Amino acid sequence: MKFPVLTLITLSAALSGAASATSYPLTLKDDLGRTVTVKAEPRRIVSMLPSTSETLCAIAACEKLVGVDTYSDYPQQVTKLPKMGGLYDPNIEAIIAQKPDLVLVSKYGKLEGPLTQAGITVVAVNPETYDEVFSKTLTLGRVVNREAQARALVTRMKSDIARVEILTRNVVRKPTAYLEIDPTPYSVGPNSFMGVLLTKAGARNIIPASMGDFPKVDPEFIVKANPQLILGVDAKTAGARPGWNSIGALKTGRVVTIPTELNTMLGRPGPRLPQALRGLAKIVHPELFK
Amino acid sequence: MEAAASDRRGAAGALALPLKTAGLVLLLLSAVVLGTGLGSVTVPPGEVLGALWRGVTGQELAGNDVIVWQIRLPRVVMGVLVGASLSVCGGAFQGVFRNPLADPYLLGVASGSALGATIAIVAGWPRTLIPVTALLLALAAVTCTLILAREGRRFPPNRLILAGVVVGSVLSAATTALILRGEDRARQVLAYTLGDLGFSGWLDVLTVLPYAALGGGVLLLLARALDTLQLGELTARSLGVPVERLRLITVVAASVATAGAVAYVGVIGFVGLIVPHVVRLLFGPGHRTLLPLSALLGGALLVYADLLARTTPLSQVGIVTTLLGGPFFLWLLRRQSSE
Repeated sequence: MKFPVLTLITLSAALSGAASATSYPLTLKDDLGRTVTVKAEPRRIVSMLPSTSETLCAIAACEKLVGVDTYSDYPQQVTKLPKMGGLYDPNIEAIIAQKPDLVLVSKYGKLEGPLTQAGITVVAVNPETYDEVFSKTLTLGRVVNREAQARALVTRMKSDIARVEILTRNVVRKPTAYLEIDPTPYSVGPNSFMGVLLTKAGARNIIPASMGDFPKVDPEFIVKANPQLILGVDAKTAGARPGWNSIGALKTGRVVTIPTELNTMLGRPGPRLPQALRGLAKIVHPELFK
Repeated sequence: MEAAASDRRGAAGALALPLKTAGLVLLLLSAVVLGTGLGSVTVPPGEVLGALWRGVTGQELAGNDVIVWQIRLPRVVMGVLVGASLSVCGGAFQGVFRNPLADPYLLGVASGSALGATIAIVAGWPRTLIPVTALLLALAAVTCTLILAREGRRFPPNRLILAGVVVGSVLSAATTALILRGEDRARQVLAYTLGDLGFSGWLDVLTVLPYAALGGGVLLLLARALDTLQLGELTARSLGVPVERLRLITVVAASVATAGAVAYVGVIGFVGLIVPHVVRLLFGPGHRTLLPLSALLGGALLVYADLLARTTPLSQVGIVTTLLGGPFFLWLLRRQSSE
């Protein structure tokens, strides 16, 4: 009795797998605008972007990785892989020595030229906006023959996000917030990746969309906007800035540095997006997560 | 031929000097008024005046008062101070080296302070430490240049310039290496090397003031000796100018003032090079007018540049000074030569 059931499960799994299997050669347009053909299912992949490494591991393609960039540190498995350098100082020789059949690069690097010349397939994948996190996950799934897993991951991420949004969407008091990404100071506009998460976490961003996605902000603008919550600066630094003691967030003590791990997730448009949102929502609305 | 032209210019300059000086004073005043009145936040003129009054009399500040008194005014004052310092130092360097390409960063001050700031930024030290490390390394860089250029008890100008260029290059390489190691902080370092008056408060102004006053004051006192030096080193020496000591004092005073300024606001380019040249073109080459008038024009220019930086997408004051200052200077140069 047991045997046929198992066979049936295996068979249906094989069938559903076959239904969503990528047919190679696969031709697609990558984020550098190049038309690339992936000849067969990649088995030795080098990922040069931390978010790409995370996505591959989240769609059961982690064992295909034979090398990652210096900044890839999640999940644990990738930390043991050979490091191939960073965006500005990639180790091209080391990459070629790994004999990869696919290198996934950032569109901001300059790897595609030399690697293509070396006969290696290169695909640039750069999720930058909130929506792109999902669409690029599906693209990666197609490229590495993990379409079903990619679709399942996207569904899971969206339902995790919905679970946070249910809490934050109808909150009565949404604090006005200023999120500083570097002390020059730069902040994020509402349409940027982090800006979308900030809004979804139940905050009202003081930066209007008209200022762009990563605007340099004039300090007097921040004082005038008088945010109730300041993220990304420590209270001491904020208090030492001229005029900032008059800001509401400083008077009520709602000046919060973002923990390193959460900060990494916020800067990495990948599968941990729901976790990043939850972490941010906990800071914006601690009362909702008691 | 050239001497005749410069005589003619000198004569015309002497006649129009009070008028032109008044023009520069007005320019500086207008810069201060506009710089305090305008910004990314609109504050009505009446409120600006009210805020200034409440600030001066030490009353409690509320609403826009904070913006005017604690953010804009110190920023404007810092602009005047730094612009004046850089311009006086630039003028003095051009005079003492008799080299039109000299600027206050000639002997490695800029590269030193950039390296100091970069170390603090990449290491993630508290923001308040940045000016300290920048100042220390700026002064260390100049000391290094002086030691390398020394020839017995003399500091020959060519050796100073060469040593300065080499020290600057070495330090810049170190800075670049550090930036690449701390990639995600590259923008902060870049912003520093382009200069920023954004977070200058009264405390910063009070810290920079002594450097500017001491360095600038000494240079103004040396103006007459610098004039004599323009006749040539031998002539100056025969007229009783202690050339070596003059050179050393000028270098030290200018470096102290420059280091103090750039440590707090970053490496603002071009002001120190261009302002003395503009003043020379308008008023003639004498250092007794050149240095103080450079201070006036430099102060005004930097405040205007900062106003543009904070209200337009040009975003960094160093970008504005170079982007607009360069073409303006070329226009002035062409106009003068066609006259």
